[in-house]
Amino acid sequence: MIKRFFFYVGLVVLLAAVLFPLYWVVVTSFKLPRDAFAIPPVWLFEPTLDNFRKVLANQTFVRAFTNSFVVSISSSAIAVAIGALAAYGITQQDAEKRRGQEKFILSLRIAPALVFVIPVYYFAVRLGALNQHWLLIAVYAFINVPFAISLLITFFDDIPRELRDAARVDGAREFAIFWRIYLPAARGGVVATLILCVLFTWNEFFVALTLSGRSTQTLPVSITSFLTFQGIQWGALTAAATLIMLPMLVLGILVQGQIVRGMTLGSVKG
Amino acid sequence: MAKRTDPSRFFYQPIIAVLSLTSLVLTVYVVWLSLRDLSLMRAGRDTFVGIDNYIRFFNDPRGLWALWRTVLFTVLATSIEVVLGLAIVLFLDRNFALKRLVRTLLLVPIIMTPVVVGLTWRFIFDPASGMANYLLSRLGFDAMDWLGSPQVALYSVLIADIWQWTPFVILLSMAALDSAPSDPLDAARVDGAREWQVTWYVLLPMLRRAIAIVALIRAIDSIKAFDLFYIMTRGGPALSTETLNFYGYVVAFTNFEISYSLTVALILTIFTNVALLAMYGVLFPKNGEPR
Repeated sequence: MIKRFFFYVGLVVLLAAVLFPLYWVVVTSFKLPRDAFAIPPVWLFEPTLDNFRKVLANQTFVRAFTNSFVVSISSSAIAVAIGALAAYGITQQDAEKRRGQEKFILSLRIAPALVFVIPVYYFAVRLGALNQHWLLIAVYAFINVPFAISLLITFFDDIPRELRDAARVDGAREFAIFWRIYLPAARGGVVATLILCVLFTWNEFFVALTLSGRSTQTLPVSITSFLTFQGIQWGALTAAATLIMLPMLVLGILVQGQIVRGMTLGSVKG
Repeated sequence: MAKRTDPSRFFYQPIIAVLSLTSLVLTVYVVWLSLRDLSLMRAGRDTFVGIDNYIRFFNDPRGLWALWRTVLFTVLATSIEVVLGLAIVLFLDRNFALKRLVRTLLLVPIIMTPVVVGLTWRFIFDPASGMANYLLSRLGFDAMDWLGSPQVALYSVLIADIWQWTPFVILLSMAALDSAPSDPLDAARVDGAREWQVTWYVLLPMLRRAIAIVALIRAIDSIKAFDLFYIMTRGGPALSTETLNFYGYVVAFTNFEISYSLTVALILTIFTNVALLAMYGVLFPKNGEPR
């Protein structure tokens, strides 16, 4: 009995530690400035939507929302389309060939982003492409392709190979097998991969910081503009932060089973 | 019936070819640029300088300190996250109501936008009105300058990193624990092993592979950590939180010294690979397959 009591106390402490920062940001976004900085902190206060109004009236921020949306959806769609083709091809090979390909794909994910961001930046400056959406879309698609391939491989592996053999005996073309049998059978996996790509791209900061221009800024870059030299506008900042992460928390919980699976693929499979 | 050729390889070969070609061209180009002295401040007037950039790095105290900080941060972050994560996994290893809900909630830090995580912790560490100092004062300690003191700032970023990534260790090890058989544990208990012995000699060795993989992932990611540093400290105060990745960023995008920044980036890449191989060797020894 006492043991159980301590277990639940420990559980509450753990959850409080995990959730407190999230709670604090969201709650602060509904506070007036005098409540936000009150010491000791106020737990009960009069909620206000002022901060959200301020953020949504900010043209730059609204545009960043559009940019993030366009860039993450299109680059993820491209990456999943390319990734599905490659993953299908790789799963049909014999074990030895597969291992080689899978190793190569994983090795693409180890180099720090800095190594390829600098030459891309240098090119973009010379081409005058720094302020164009296609640059970000192309770079993110390139980053997401290896990830999409390795994750989709695990989903395609779940489909029995007999399906393909039977279809081939019936004379189906390879592309028809991919399009009519594999894609529908792995629908859930394809959607999960797409969502995970969107989540990564939406949250990504380094590439966005270095390769976006004034009119292509995505949300994580845009929010840093609230960190001014005059000080930090915490009210607007926390409201913006809440708006940025909420859609991703919802998406993340939708694909919760796949997240750990997806992130493990970022590294060596032994 | 004659064996038909298998067209499935055409599905991946062009894609892999493009990926290989792109990475090959980029690598050659990056190495080539690192042997020159290209700077955007005087574009078009760069010359071949051989390995001067590499010599410069090993005589550059700022770069070497950044390298040391990267090592320190990586070792601390990885080991604390793995040990703490495992402790929590063992603590949670029982049946209780709402276990599924707890797992879902543990996802929150992982999927929270890293920039927002950095901002949140900066808010909590605010010297005047942050929760961290309020908590300290309630416990009877003096207020700390969490992000403003060169002796403390790196550890404050470390706390934020631990908060964000320990749940990842927990979830991954929990998944491994679920798929592990429970017979060996029961057998050990029947043989009269104490609970800590079961944990130490049976349970942890079974999780060895999962622990090794999660440690590798965390090490790679910590070496490349950028977002939290940029948001919380920008490498300051007095460069006390400047890691190698961040230094490379500053050289490239503040000083516009393309060649030198690529040298830093390549050294970081080599360093990552060496660390990876070393860890891989320790975690997956050749003789004596891990159980």
